[in-house]
Amino acid sequence: MALFAARDPDRPRYRTRFMRAGVVYVIAILVMGIASGARPNNLIIWVFSAMIAALLASGVLSGLMMTPLRATRIEPRRGRVGEPLLIRYELTNRSRLIPSYDLTVTEAVDPKLLEPAGTAWALHVGPGDTVHAEAVFRPVRRGAVQLKSFEVATTFPFGLLRKIVHIPRSGDVLIHPEILPLRADLLARVTSGAFGGQRLSAKGGGNDDFFGVREYRSGDSIRSIAWKRLAGTGQIATIERGRAVPPRVRVLLDLRTPTAALRTAPGEDARTLEERAIVIAASTIALADRLGYEYALSVAGLEIPVVALRKGHFHREKIMSLLAALDLDAPRVAGNGLSASDERAALVCVHADRADTAVAPESAWHFTARQIDAILDQGAERSATEPATATPTAGGAA
Amino acid sequence: MTLLRQYRFASFMLVIVSIIAFSIATVDFLQLFLAVTLAMVSWYITEGPRGRTLPHWLSNTIIVVLLAWIGLGFMRSGELSGAVAALGRFLLWLLIIKLYSRPTVHEERQRLSLATMLVIAGCLESVQFAFGALVVLYVALAVWTAMLWRLHRSYEHGRSSRAASQGFAPPLEIAFGRRATPQFRGMTVTSVLFVFVASAGVFLLFPRIPTMLDTRGPRGARSVTGFSDEISLRGGDRISESRRELFVVRWLDPTREPVLPARPLLLRGAVLDRYDPAGERWLSARSVTGVRTIRTPTEERFVSLGVADGDAPGSVYTAEFEMRALATDVVFTLYAPVALSTTDSRTITFDPATFLIRDASSNRASRYWSYALRVQPQPSGSVLEDISGGSSSASASASRALQMPVPEIRPVAEQILAEARKSVNMPAEPGPDADEAQRFVYQREVARGIADWMQRNFTYTTDLSSIVKVSGEDPIVSFLTRYRRGHCEYFASGLCAVLRSLGIESRIITGYIAMEFDEATGLYTVRESNAHAWVEVRTGPYAWTAVDATPEDSLRELQEQNRSFADNFRWLYGTIEFLWNSRVVSYDSTTQAAIADRVQSGWRTTIGEWLTALNDSLSALTTRLSLGQAGGAWLAAIGVGVLTAVLAPTLLILRQRRIRHALKLDGVPRARRRMLLREAAFYAEALSELSRAGFAKPEHVTPREHARALAERNPDAGRVFAAVAEEFYRIRFGDWNPPAEHADEMKSRMFALRQALRQNPVPKMAD
Repeated sequence: MALFAARDPDRPRYRTRFMRAGVVYVIAILVMGIASGARPNNLIIWVFSAMIAALLASGVLSGLMMTPLRATRIEPRRGRVGEPLLIRYELTNRSRLIPSYDLTVTEAVDPKLLEPAGTAWALHVGPGDTVHAEAVFRPVRRGAVQLKSFEVATTFPFGLLRKIVHIPRSGDVLIHPEILPLRADLLARVTSGAFGGQRLSAKGGGNDDFFGVREYRSGDSIRSIAWKRLAGTGQIATIERGRAVPPRVRVLLDLRTPTAALRTAPGEDARTLEERAIVIAASTIALADRLGYEYALSVAGLEIPVVALRKGHFHREKIMSLLAALDLDAPRVAGNGLSASDERAALVCVHADRADTAVAPESAWHFTARQIDAILDQGAERSATEPATATPTAGGAA
Repeated sequence: MTLLRQYRFASFMLVIVSIIAFSIATVDFLQLFLAVTLAMVSWYITEGPRGRTLPHWLSNTIIVVLLAWIGLGFMRSGELSGAVAALGRFLLWLLIIKLYSRPTVHEERQRLSLATMLVIAGCLESVQFAFGALVVLYVALAVWTAMLWRLHRSYEHGRSSRAASQGFAPPLEIAFGRRATPQFRGMTVTSVLFVFVASAGVFLLFPRIPTMLDTRGPRGARSVTGFSDEISLRGGDRISESRRELFVVRWLDPTREPVLPARPLLLRGAVLDRYDPAGERWLSARSVTGVRTIRTPTEERFVSLGVADGDAPGSVYTAEFEMRALATDVVFTLYAPVALSTTDSRTITFDPATFLIRDASSNRASRYWSYALRVQPQPSGSVLEDISGGSSSASASASRALQMPVPEIRPVAEQILAEARKSVNMPAEPGPDADEAQRFVYQREVARGIADWMQRNFTYTTDLSSIVKVSGEDPIVSFLTRYRRGHCEYFASGLCAVLRSLGIESRIITGYIAMEFDEATGLYTVRESNAHAWVEVRTGPYAWTAVDATPEDSLRELQEQNRSFADNFRWLYGTIEFLWNSRVVSYDSTTQAAIADRVQSGWRTTIGEWLTALNDSLSALTTRLSLGQAGGAWLAAIGVGVLTAVLAPTLLILRQRRIRHALKLDGVPRARRRMLLREAAFYAEALSELSRAGFAKPEHVTPREHARALAERNPDAGRVFAAVAEEFYRIRFGDWNPPAEHADEMKSRMFALRQALRQNPVPKMAD
């Protein structure tokens, strides 16, 4: 049995640090101390005493404020590159008497993944109170971000000492790829062919043209009853009408070529090209969602589950999460990731370095990462930040 | 947010207080008026509707000009002692300029630092009470401002960091709880009290090295004593008349009635019998032999200074002194003191050669407050011999009273004597065969004659700024021949020098002249402006007679000119100032040692006295109640019973308050509340257990949600708490009146909850 129990890594740790003002203050105290000793002026001695007392008060008060403080992080499940990521912190003061003031919460996270854009700050947490403070981060890269711990600190009352509570608490935030505004006519042109355009559904249930007749079911509208048939056969039947279904588009992200094998121009980063391809795929999906299309995603070269053609918020978030979680360091596999079924949908292929038409049927549209500027909607207001993946380069199909 | 808006006002007030404090420390009222006015105007200009500030280049230019101006002024004066004042003045005007600058965080930090440095510079200049009170106020304000500064600084930092993201991050929303401002106020008061108490502790314990003590201290220290035990004739300035009330004197005749009509009283403080021509000053040659040490009794009883109590009781007057602002070890006396009484027991030293008394109670924590003297204004030779004890030091003092090491005065003295004889009737100089008595009469008459002549032919003034020092000429000669005007120190110096040059034994006395008599109270009020110097001429083997060459009318005129309405209230200020001077300013190593001794021996004595008194009381009670041998046990039992009777209801009330708060029963009808306090207390107990385990329930979380959250971390505890919460719901909101056995069931659940929490502790912070 160990003589001493091992330190619990999840326990909060308290630290005290002198701030720069505190160091200057201590030097001032020393000078005043020397002056007090050299010049027997009781007023100087009292001022010196008051300075020492203020230093003591600073340590005691900040300790009393921080010891009963409890904090927890309420992190969002996902964020997006180029959009503010808000992380909330719940601060609870368990003291019965001592309020806490000037609490700053700092997240221990790699700024290459999440760049702080605004600290969480609580002016006051009264005894027994719970206060929420909000920090803002700028996600820099897509992918999963591990949050390991955060610190609550105060420099109250005099700014001489910084009392810090280090709170280990793990958490994950999935950062989705950035979405860039694409030209609105892009998908209209893509889906204008045989497979992508608006058409009638294979099933009835709409209000358009005649689709067929079926047996009457309880609840069918009286207007849809096939009166002539009833008169002829004596059997009650219901007329079914066709319904229009939105255009369909499948985005095929071509990542078959390993990063190292990509053809790049001098000064061009292969990984950047891949990330840019992911951004184009995500932006296309977002555009399709905005236009009301049904959409799906396939990734050639990486093993991801097959995504069926759907639309709606949850479908979009599912695809975005798939794109966010793509591991470009994983070994590449053969196959184009397309389902074998005879799917009627326009196909958009996004390649990292050059278009490889062999990956998809002949009717598919091909874009490369270098073409990002060509397909962007230049008139639209872009997000506040430039794409974090890479700067656009002169593009074009290979 | 109110708190964040308070900062600017607080910092402005801090700056104003620092400016006032420094101006009072340097006694520069013009500077006070100008600086405070400019500072007040700056508030309107910078914080007003237009919000104008000085451009950076202009403020820098003004600072350079200011630096050059003050630097040149300092170099021109050439006095190193004025360095601190010059530096402080520079800081003050720099602070004023900063008040007109754009209020950035950087500028505000500079303002606070400058204000603090200004107050410290003031501390090096003065220790007077008014300044000390302002320093105390400044420290309290500084604590408040520093706390507000932290909030302001953090808010500005948070705001600017979000603004720097150029619209990416949403604006900062201030997160704060309930009652932030009142709680901040409470915290400020607590912090100020903490700082004051802790600083008092450090102040008392700070080591004071006696050898390093400079008895003069800063400028304000000179005004503490009001008079000096030396006279320097090197001054060329105007002496300001301070109306500070130092002490009051009641002068009673042998029948204990106030002496009327009131005449000026000369209160002796120091005897100066040596002139230093090189230093142009009169010095005190203190007796080293013959000084008596006397211990006054605890009660107010007179202790004789050498004369039997019954000696000429009909001619003994009484002077009662009560300090107002003066804290000194000099015991001011009238001529000739025969007995002394103090309100508390003190050790005094009495110099029989000069009849001067000093308080030697260096082991006391404070200066004397009041004392009474018995005085014989017309003492007989035997009385004086008794007081002086026929000491050799008296004759030594007399021999020193003839030395005048400035030979140029001799012809001047003869000329003055000749001129005085023309207008004043004086006896002829006794021949060599004249006896000692004739010689003493001659000395007294000549001294009075010359003093009378000087009063008529010399002019009294406190403005010496126009007097130009003549190189190589002694200032006494200049006073007697060239200017013939000056203040009391010049009159006394001139008279003493003339008398000594004529072979008449004389010496200068410094002290106070009490002139301001209040018939309603029968008290003389002595102020700082009453500091005075006069001459004593030897008129007997042990007798000296006071002769004052200063025109009394001029002194009285000056006194009347300076009277103001505020004088009526100065006694209150003076009393506080006395405490300041006696307890704070004069706190030194001996006082520190005395307090340490008193604390060391005192606590044992005090505890011993308490135990004895307790024992006596218990014995008396046992006897009165006839409790017999086991009286102690009975009394102990009664004590325990009383303690229980007090503690039990108190604890019960506190527990019920806690449960009521936890169950939120404030709006519930009384009968229902009683039932819930009884039946649903288990829920409050469960919450308390969770809180102790580091899993306190936030107010906005429902019991069920909290139970779910707990179950994620500690399933056992979560399950038990969920059951407890359900029971609570049933009782609190389901109108369920539980049966009697329900309490036992809840007890077992509480036990299970405690066990679960103990076996699998919940991480304290990560709730």
